[in-house]
Amino acid sequence: MSAYRTGDPLDRRRFLTTTALHGATVIGATALGAVDADAAFAAPIRPLDPAVAESAFAEGRITAINDDVLAVAGSYGDHSRVRVTGATSVWKARATTAADIETGDGLYARGVPLPDGTLAADAVWVNIVNLHATIRGIEKTRLHLAHGQHEIVGNLMTEATSAAYGTASPTADLSRLTIGQSAQVLGAWRPSDGSVDLVRVAVAPGAGRRR
Amino acid sequence: MSALVRDLAPLLLAGVLGPAGAGKLFGRGTARQAPRTALARLLRHGGRAALALRVLGALELLLAAALLAPPVTPLPGAAAALLGAGFLGYLGYARAAAPGSSCGCTARRDAPVTWRAFVRAAAVLVGGGAAAAAQRPWWTAAGHRPGAALCLALAAAVALTALSADPDRRWRMPLRRLRLRITGHPLAATGARTAVPIAATVELLERSRAWQSVSRVVRSALLDHWDDGGWRILQFAGVYGGGPAARPVLVLFAVDAGASLDTVREPAVRVSVIDADSGAPVMATA
Repeated sequence: MSAYRTGDPLDRRRFLTTTALHGATVIGATALGAVDADAAFAAPIRPLDPAVAESAFAEGRITAINDDVLAVAGSYGDHSRVRVTGATSVWKARATTAADIETGDGLYARGVPLPDGTLAADAVWVNIVNLHATIRGIEKTRLHLAHGQHEIVGNLMTEATSAAYGTASPTADLSRLTIGQSAQVLGAWRPSDGSVDLVRVAVAPGAGRRR
Repeated sequence: MSALVRDLAPLLLAGVLGPAGAGKLFGRGTARQAPRTALARLLRHGGRAALALRVLGALELLLAAALLAPPVTPLPGAAAALLGAGFLGYLGYARAAAPGSSCGCTARRDAPVTWRAFVRAAAVLVGGGAAAAAQRPWWTAAGHRPGAALCLALAAAVALTALSADPDRRWRMPLRRLRLRITGHPLAATGARTAVPIAATVELLERSRAWQSVSRVVRSALLDHWDDGGWRILQFAGVYGGGPAARPVLVLFAVDAGASLDTVREPAVRVSVIDADSGAPVMATA
């Protein structure tokens, strides 16, 4: 049995690493945009390949999980069933697996509608929030945020929360965040306590100067 | 002490009504805030709500002046008590009919109806009753016991600040800023971190020609990632080919784990597409 087929994830990763490093090297940049967590808020993707059906979206709260099918109650009273497969990417503050999805979670899914009425998900974003907030307090493990009239606790995740200062790339350096800054916050909402696990805190250009 | 509280009630009440009334009457935010108040829902028009808030502000200012100035009569106190009762009724309506809307209580901010607003309104009701029962002018009472009067005024000011609709802006944020200046930034240690976040690597990848060359194959978002020997491997799922020949594939990218758009303009990315079932290479890129 090849390393690819073994159940050991380390063996599998080792095989995939070797494969990736033997791949073709492509050098250069392009102006094309992002498709990852931010893509959850983007317009539906129109595939270049005409054989591929146009992507469809589903959103709402997960009301039940039956094997690999998630029952989702939409925000506007609609209901949908989302099928999660081994090829579905699952985002819940980080790239994870379907095992982390729980009943009661919020969901945003992109995929292809199947004849049986389910949506075969290509990508699922769980509890994703992207909101504008003001930093009201900074502690070692969390930020206090104000979003409109709501106060939100933002949990800092070790090695996983990043900050983006102006147009610079996201960095692990959070020391330039200051109280009173306006920030665009990407994270995963925790239904249990209403707090948000912070993935990226983007502050405006010019912000984040060292004092 | 209770007699002093009763006799100083007009002064303390004027201290509550005066600033609130001035804010509503002269504040530039009144017109902006009015449509978001429960009053706008009650009056079914934002413009009418703004006018009502300004009239209310004028009334509060008049009452404050009447409470402060001679002659000493129970009328201003009784009117203030009535006003407090009206506030309580309005807040009850706002909480029931338009939860989450602003109360318009101070006209300084879009503060929702909270327990603080109810306590402030109750304080106006009780203070009005006490002012109506005052036996002598507040300046006479304060003159007899200036120390106690000063302490009482300070205590009232502290209580009013604590009950303010926007305590964050008034004292919590400045206190937190002060604490940071004294104790240092709680996240200062993260300034020494050199590891590139995965978000920066994905950003770099998505702006690479390598991504462009295989993006039509990729269907999922990031499935998995890990670092190995200075490389960061990013794994996506996709579909290769069309029609009956279409087959599931894995798309693998290898990117310098220490690179980001801040350090590299022309990223070198290694790309592989392999069959999802067998692991066999599927296509060559570049």
